[in-house]
Amino acid sequence: MSTTTLRVKTPPGFRVDASVLRPASLASMSVAEIERIVLPSGNDSCVVGDVFQVLRNETTVSEWNADGDTVTLVIDGAAPWLDCVGAAMDGGHLAVHGSVGDYCGLRMMGGVLRVDGNAGHFTGCEMRGGRLTVTGDSGDFAAGALAGDMEGMTGGTLTIHGNAGARLADRMRRGLVLVGGNAAEFAASRLVAGTVGVAGQLGPHFAYGMRRGTLLLVQRPAHLPATFTDGGHGFDVFWSLLVRSLADEIAPFSQWRADRLPVRYAGDLAVDGRGEILIAG
Amino acid sequence: MNAPATFEINGTAIDATFAEAFPMKATRLIITAHTPGWAMNAANSLTGFATSVIGCGCEAGVERMLAPGETPDGRPGVAVLLFAVSSKELAKQIGRRVGQCVLTCPSTAVFSGIDPATSRAPLSDKAALGSGLRFFGDGWQISKMIGTTRYWRVPVMDGEFVCEDTAVTVKAVGGGNLLLLASDLGAALAAAEAAVAAMRRLPNVIMPFPGGIVRSGSKIGSKYKGASASTNDAFCPTLIGLAARSELSAEVGCVLEIVIDGLTDADVGAAMTAGIGAAAGLGRAAGVLRISAGNYGGKLGPYHFHLHALAASLDGSRA
Repeated sequence: MSTTTLRVKTPPGFRVDASVLRPASLASMSVAEIERIVLPSGNDSCVVGDVFQVLRNETTVSEWNADGDTVTLVIDGAAPWLDCVGAAMDGGHLAVHGSVGDYCGLRMMGGVLRVDGNAGHFTGCEMRGGRLTVTGDSGDFAAGALAGDMEGMTGGTLTIHGNAGARLADRMRRGLVLVGGNAAEFAASRLVAGTVGVAGQLGPHFAYGMRRGTLLLVQRPAHLPATFTDGGHGFDVFWSLLVRSLADEIAPFSQWRADRLPVRYAGDLAVDGRGEILIAG
Repeated sequence: MNAPATFEINGTAIDATFAEAFPMKATRLIITAHTPGWAMNAANSLTGFATSVIGCGCEAGVERMLAPGETPDGRPGVAVLLFAVSSKELAKQIGRRVGQCVLTCPSTAVFSGIDPATSRAPLSDKAALGSGLRFFGDGWQISKMIGTTRYWRVPVMDGEFVCEDTAVTVKAVGGGNLLLLASDLGAALAAAEAAVAAMRRLPNVIMPFPGGIVRSGSKIGSKYKGASASTNDAFCPTLIGLAARSELSAEVGCVLEIVIDGLTDADVGAAMTAGIGAAAGLGRAAGVLRISAGNYGGKLGPYHFHLHALAASLDGSRA
C-alpha cells in the first residue's frame, strides 16, 4: 500500500494540466522525482514542487480505500485551475479533496477517481472504464465527446451527486452515468447506447436524437419528446437485471425494486428509435 | 476375467480396475423463468436427446434447480451442463439447443453459468449465445451492457427474450463411469438409482443417460464396418457362456452403467465415490454383487479413476 499526497501550497496563477498525475506512475517515483514533474499550461509550465507539497506514506490506508494492494494518490486542496485530473488514468485510486477544472477523467480507462467537490466541463469525457465520482456538480459535456469526435463515454461508471450541465452523455455509447440532481438541456442527446440516470429534473431537448440506450428518470418530465412513443410491456427481466446492477449505486437508483416496473417510452423515432426512457419514480 | 476383487463394502466387491475418462469442452447455462416449472420445461427440452456425443452431438443434463436468489435476474432457474468433444461442436450445440428449446419456451431467459473468476476448471473459448440468437429479432433486438456483461433483448410474443451475449466454456472431463453388477434387474436398478441420487446431490456433474443410467454400455469398434462402437459383450449376462472376454460370473444377472461428466476430474471422482458408496451401501444382501468400471487399457484417456482409491474413503474392508 502506497499513498502519495499532493497538498496545494501555492496556486500557480494559471490553469495547469494535471494529466501526468496518475496513481500508478507516481507510486514508482521518489518524492524528489515527483517534485520535478512538469505540469504544462499552454505556453507556460510549472513543476509539481512549485505548487504542491509532496508527502509519501507507505502504510496509511485512506478511509475510502480498503484495498491494501492499490496505490493511492491524494490531491488535497484542489481548485478549478487544475485541469485534466485523472485523464487517461488506468488504475489505482485517486482522491481529490476540493473542486477540479475541466476534463476531469478525460479518456479514463480504469481505477477509481473521486472528487470531493465540483468538476468543470467535459467530466468523464470519452471515458472508457473505471469509476469516476463527483460529489458536487459537473459542468457541460460530462460523459460526452470532444468536439469533432464520434463517440462519448464508452465504458465505466460516472456518478455525479449534484447537478450536471448541458449535453450530459452526448454521443455516449456504453457505460453508466448517474446524476443525483438535475441535468441541463440536451441530456442524453445523440445517445448511441449505454445507460443514463437522472434523479432530478431535465432541461429541454433531452434524449434528442437518441438512437439506442436507456434514460432512467425518477421524475416524470413535463413534456416528453414528440418523437418518443409508448414503449409497451414485457421488459421485466431486463428491468430486474438493471435494478440489481444499481444496488450499489447512489440513491434513489439503488432503491428501485425489480417488482415495480417503470413506464417505458421508445424513441427517438427520428433516428434509430431503439432507445428507451424509463420513468421509475 | 479380472483378478478377484480384494476390496469389499457390505459384501459388494469393488474391482481392482479404473474408469478411463477423456477431455471435453463444457459449459453451464442458467435458465430462468416465471416459475420453476417453466424453467424446468426449457431445461428438459434443451437437455433432451443428449445422452452421448456418439450420436447426439453433446452430452447434457440438469445439474440442479436454482432458487431466485441464485440467479442473475432473481427468478427461479435451472442450471444445465453441456459437454462436447470440441469447442466448435459445443458452440454449435449451444446455438441449436438454446435457439429451439429456450428461446421458444414461455418466459425464459438464459445466462452463462460459469464464473471465470472462481472456476476451478481451466477456461476455454467463449461460445456464442445471444450473439447468434439475436438475429431472430429481425432488427428489433437491443444489445445492453450491464456492468461488464452484454445482454441481448429480443422481442418475442410474451415480452422479451433476454440472453447473455456469450457463454463461458471450460476444459472438462467426460466419460467417468461405474458398472454395477447385480443378481437381477431389480437389484441393479435399485443400486443404480441410489448411486445416481447420491451423485445428483453433488455440483458440477451430470449423468447424461435416461435417469442417469445406461444399459447399453459399449466397447470401441465392431465387427461391422462403419460402426465406431458396439455392445460391451464382456458385461452382457446373456453372453456369459459365449463371449470369450466375458467379465461376468454365473451369479450376475444384470449390469447397469452410470456415465459421469464433470467440470473437473475432482468433480468426477467425487461423484464416482458417492455412487460407489450409495450402491455398495445396499450391499450383497440386496443383490449388489460387484462394482466395476470401463476402460480402454489406459491408453486413450488421460484421466484414470481407480475404484479402490475412490472407495478407500468409504467404510470398506479389505477382503
